[in-house]
Amino acid sequence: MTVQRIYIIVPVYNEAAVISATLQDLLGTGYPVIVVDDGSTDALPQILAGLPVHYIRHCFNLGQGAALETGMEEARRLGADAVVHFDADGQHAAGAVSVLLAPILEGSCDIVFGSRFLERSGAGQLPFTRRLVLQAARYLNYLFTGILLSDAHNGLRALGPLALQKIRLTQDRMSHATEILEEVHEYGLRYREVPVTIRYSPYSKAKGQSLLNSVNILFDVLFKKMQK
Amino acid sequence: MKLIQLILLTALLATLVSYFRWFRKPALDKVLVVGVGLAGMVFVIFPDSTTRIAGWLGVGRGADLLFYIAIVALTYLVLLLYSKIKKLESRVTELVRRQALLEAGRENPSGEVRP
Repeated sequence: MTVQRIYIIVPVYNEAAVISATLQDLLGTGYPVIVVDDGSTDALPQILAGLPVHYIRHCFNLGQGAALETGMEEARRLGADAVVHFDADGQHAAGAVSVLLAPILEGSCDIVFGSRFLERSGAGQLPFTRRLVLQAARYLNYLFTGILLSDAHNGLRALGPLALQKIRLTQDRMSHATEILEEVHEYGLRYREVPVTIRYSPYSKAKGQSLLNSVNILFDVLFKKMQK
Repeated sequence: MKLIQLILLTALLATLVSYFRWFRKPALDKVLVVGVGLAGMVFVIFPDSTTRIAGWLGVGRGADLLFYIAIVALTYLVLLLYSKIKKLESRVTELVRRQALLEAGRENPSGEVRP
């Protein structure tokens, strides 16, 4: 199956300060962009005016997982073969898109994860507690899904045809990262990690996940397991 | 281990497991509520009966027995509500998503791209 239609999905929740720069950067890649406005209360619509992006809006905030799933549903409707997940907060470089898509385009992978720890790609700037949380998350993910990634919570991913068709996100908030791994394991999808650079700004750091939120994720995952 | 400890532990475990496995039928929830209500009335009418039952189970006083049972029951209730909220949340998500997808393009602040 040749991959032809590729969409970049950008979930946005109150990112007015940086979204314009992020999208300008992304539009340079030439791929169509789906912006999922997750109930932003800022001036996002005005900022987007004039930008050639596909815009979808949740009438109130549901969470990043829900926004990604809405974006993927729209991509499926538009006949997408592949999608790229891209954070709005300006910490991802548009150059990562082609790196993520390469294994998908050559057909060697169903899903590609961005990792800031594969090479020395700026991970050293991370504060100690964040690194500790990410390490713990890696092994928890491994425990739950049997998949050990070098970077447990990286927003950059590319999903090829099979992954886009199989993966459905039901975890509305941040637990979707673990949910994706569960589904990769369940459907036996071929995955790979590629090194990506993360640009840490005071803005993106402030938006990073807290230690407490990882407890939330743990409980979300446990609860879902018990319901099965 | 006193008999009461065994029973309460089993009940707590059964609460968790049964909740996720079987008790999702509203009818069963009702039976449970009625059962608890009737038992409560019996204990109110014959207060000494709780002390006697507590004695059999190895608990000192009837009031203590009721206290333990209440804790188990409330735990169950909290889990029940938690699960209902989760279910509602996923429905809300589905609704918001459908509405968002329906309006995609119409509410578009810019020209949408369809390659």
